[in-house]
Amino acid sequence: MAYTSREAFFAFRRSPLLTALSIATIAFALYTLSVFGLVWTNIDRVLEGVEERVEVIAYLVDGTDPTETSALMREVAAYPEVDSIAYLSKEDALERARAELTDYAELYEDLEANPLPASVEIALRDGFRDASDVGDVATRVARFPFVEEIKYGEDWVQKLDFLQDLSLFLGLVMGGVFAAIAFVAIGATINIVLISREDEIAIMKMVGATRAFIARPLVIEGFAKGVIGAVVALVLLTLTYSLLEQRVVSLTFYSPLQVAGGVLLGGALGAVASIVTLRRHLSSW
Amino acid sequence: MILFQGVHKEYPRTGAALTDVTFHLRKGEFTFVTGPSGAGKTTLVKLVTMEERPTSGTVRVSGYASDRIRTRDIPALRRRLGIVFQDFRLLKNRTARENVAFALEVTGASAEQISPKVLRTLAAVGLSDKADHLPSELSGGEQQRVAIARALVNDPFILLADEPTGNLDPKVALDILRVFKDINLRGMAVLLVTHDRTLLGEHPRARIIELDQGRIVRDTANGGGAAG
Ligand SMILES: Nc1ncnc2c1ncn2[C@@H]1O[C@H](COP(=O)(O)OP(=O)(O)O)[C@@H](O)[C@H]1O
Ligand SMILES: [Mg+2]
Repeated sequence: MAYTSREAFFAFRRSPLLTALSIATIAFALYTLSVFGLVWTNIDRVLEGVEERVEVIAYLVDGTDPTETSALMREVAAYPEVDSIAYLSKEDALERARAELTDYAELYEDLEANPLPASVEIALRDGFRDASDVGDVATRVARFPFVEEIKYGEDWVQKLDFLQDLSLFLGLVMGGVFAAIAFVAIGATINIVLISREDEIAIMKMVGATRAFIARPLVIEGFAKGVIGAVVALVLLTLTYSLLEQRVVSLTFYSPLQVAGGVLLGGALGAVASIVTLRRHLSSW
Repeated sequence: MILFQGVHKEYPRTGAALTDVTFHLRKGEFTFVTGPSGAGKTTLVKLVTMEERPTSGTVRVSGYASDRIRTRDIPALRRRLGIVFQDFRLLKNRTARENVAFALEVTGASAEQISPKVLRTLAAVGLSDKADHLPSELSGGEQQRVAIARALVNDPFILLADEPTGNLDPKVALDILRVFKDINLRGMAVLLVTHDRTLLGEHPRARIIELDQGRIVRDTANGGGAAG
């Protein structure tokens, strides 16, 4: 125990520059990952609200035979993706338009004929609400000849969908690149420590030290670097978040549990990088 | 104890360092390994510590066999051996006491166990009064005593010394030999590697294994003549 506590943080003193680089790269890795993660989470929250209302609307050709309409409804209701289906007649449509657009109510007064088509509104089940499922259902419904037009998945929903995927991708790629640099930097620091302590390590091997004993202080040090890096990332992230909060309306932040998980992830990154390097260098006895 | 059976050792680039080496070291025995430079003496020591493995043949040390031992067993083996080198190999920034304690710390011993044992061992090599000196404040002979104390502190069954007097002048070399003889009198086996023939004369009852070009050319335990 005395050895471990005395020797840990030796590299902090021995090569402060590389140590700083290790911490900085871990911080950047976690920062980029968490920024894009935050973007992802917030898009997800918006989409969740939208997706609950995701439906496919089929506008019917004027004068469609009611028996054909009910045949369509029966068939579509049997799709596995479909939660519920409702018929909206031309009159219902007009009434709804009048109710929803009270400011423009005069638009719908004095109409000679009802310009709104009858429609079938198809709500999808939870789990079938992403862009591809919705598009799929829409394509199938569009095949009915008396369906004049199909409306579904607003443009901006699809854009958000894409943005969400992009943020996940960027977060993983950029976070991964920084994590890889952190790995190399931590490995290099350990190399320097091992070289500067060559004599000491040779003596330790000679008098019967185990690999774990020699490695322990260095792994602890790697873990500490990771945790410090994570805390730096957290500070940066909090700054970024509060800057955005001032401009954009209510964003969600990570939960305390997720923050703790991120800090542990940093520590694990540092420890694993150390173990990998040590395994390579402490293989012969 | 220690048993070499038909040991051959070849290094990748330099070729055969030991050829058909067979011998058995018994409990409490004092053995000199001698021979000219390049004869294979250091290689023999490294085979005992399992720093090197034989190319063929087997080395057995206290229950461990060279063809079966796993890397993770080696620390346990090393704790049963006391090893001393020509160049002392002390940590420069630690006192005599700390250098000896280091060998115990590494085994995970507690501070309460370490301190009295270190002082007892330093007393056994005659260095009680210099326990708090740094290596740079000690003579060569004193530094080698610290190294011997470090080798002894884990209670090994044998002390292996590779040219322990090689860096010392003749009078000091004899002092160090006396330390090894004292330790041996208390029942511990000693394997002392030296190319210095005058040392052999100082301990006539000791066994002598002489190497030349990797072969045993004399083993006094086998009637003193050349071994087959
Ligand atoms: N690590 C090594 N790699 C290659 N050849 C070595 C190595 N160690 C020793 N040798 C060779 O093995 C032979 C015996 O060396 P060594 O055991 O050191 O002899 P001694 O200790 O008797 O001087 C020499 O020819 C030496 O060059
Ligand atoms: Mg030698």
